Amino acid sequence: MRCSDVEALWDEMRSGGEAGDEHVLAHLRRCKDCQYSYEQFEGVAYCLNCLPTVEPPQSLVPRILEHVRSLRNHFRSTHADGFGRVPSPLGALLLAWRDTGVSFVGIDRGEDDETARTFIERRLRRPVRNAPPPQWVVDAVNRFFSTWQVDVSRIDISELSPFERAALMKAAQIPPGEVRSYGWIAREIGHPQAARAVGQVMARNPVALFFPCHRVVDASGALHNYGYGIELKARILKMEGYKRA
Amino acid sequence: MVPSVRTAERKPAIAAGAPRSADAPSVEHFERIVDEFQRRLYGFALRMTGNREDAEEIVQDAFVRAFRALGKMSEEQRRELRLQPWLYTITLNVTRNRLRSKRPTNVALDALADPDALLNNTQEGPEQPEQIVERGTDLALVEQALLQLPMHLRAAATLRFIEGRSHPEIAEILNQPIGTVKSHVHRAVRILRRILGPQVGRIASTEEPANALQ
Repeated sequence: MRCSDVEALWDEMRSGGEAGDEHVLAHLRRCKDCQYSYEQFEGVAYCLNCLPTVEPPQSLVPRILEHVRSLRNHFRSTHADGFGRVPSPLGALLLAWRDTGVSFVGIDRGEDDETARTFIERRLRRPVRNAPPPQWVVDAVNRFFSTWQVDVSRIDISELSPFERAALMKAAQIPPGEVRSYGWIAREIGHPQAARAVGQVMARNPVALFFPCHRVVDASGALHNYGYGIELKARILKMEGYKRA
Repeated sequence: MVPSVRTAERKPAIAAGAPRSADAPSVEHFERIVDEFQRRLYGFALRMTGNREDAEEIVQDAFVRAFRALGKMSEEQRRELRLQPWLYTITLNVTRNRLRSKRPTNVALDALADPDALLNNTQEGPEQPEQIVERGTDLALVEQALLQLPMHLRAAATLRFIEGRSHPEIAEILNQPIGTVKSHVHRAVRILRRILGPQVGRIASTEEPANALQ
């Protein structure tokens, strides 16, 4: 065993780890340099350990809690989106919303509340709580299925990146019953090379249907893919009046 | 909430690290979190900055950041969160930002240029580092030596020998491989040994350890 090998084990020796084995001890007995160095190491560790524990001033905790309380009041009103189910011609939809608009739309696949909540939270990366959907949310769903149009001002995707928002807003401009390619969106939003990135934005679209990612297809016109299955994508397009499939 | 919470707080810092509740940390229980960790984070920030006011502001800032972050997390994320290392990490980040912007006027660093400045600079109020310095000049040397280390080595040495954290926990706090942590701890000790020189032996024979040895 070399001095450098032994030196690397001092910290563990000091804390009574496995390193205090025979080979190390044998080396230490032989090697005066290492004996000195180990004493110094222990000495430094001991010195640091001697530094007194300093109590924080008593005013610290109240100050922190006061600061936090003011934030908490703010959080209460804003931090958890509501989520719940709304019936639709496609079956129940799972929606989340906040004061500023609908933040999530997905197809209810019969999962329990806890699974649904976790799924939405993972997608939105923030907490949601189960609540009865307010009337404006129900109205938004009904309006979509009667007109296939969406009022984007009642959708909240403010926490997505500028690129994601641009791609989704562009998709919202595709008329019902028509399709456009990923490349078309990429060009329209000024990133002609980013067709694949647009594809990823569509795949992660938190507000399905309302942001009509089902109207975005690949360059050859093939439906390509859909988070809830390609058959559903075809079905929604057909309902909207899309002719070619 | 749980009756044992009150007594758990009074135990020494190292023992208090154990998880004591199955609840995921949340903004609802934040007072308990502040209560449990403020001493440790304050001690850490104080050793990192050498300055009492900086340490207070750092700890306050760190808790506020933690509160905001917890509020944005899902329950799943909160349940997976390892609170103690996470809080140390936040404290360290705040410390880093603060020292970066405050460097020219930092009291601790001024004191390095003129050690007497630290000794003479007494303020009113309870338990200040300055008073500790008066109590033992030897320990003042240790404090100052620590402050001369580069930030990453100071953090490694403080967490290891003053806070008594394990290598894996330090690795988590610093977001570095365990091997890197061990080598930083070693380099820190080597530099401190050089700064303190022969005084290491004298201090070790006259002082009592303040923190429980791990």
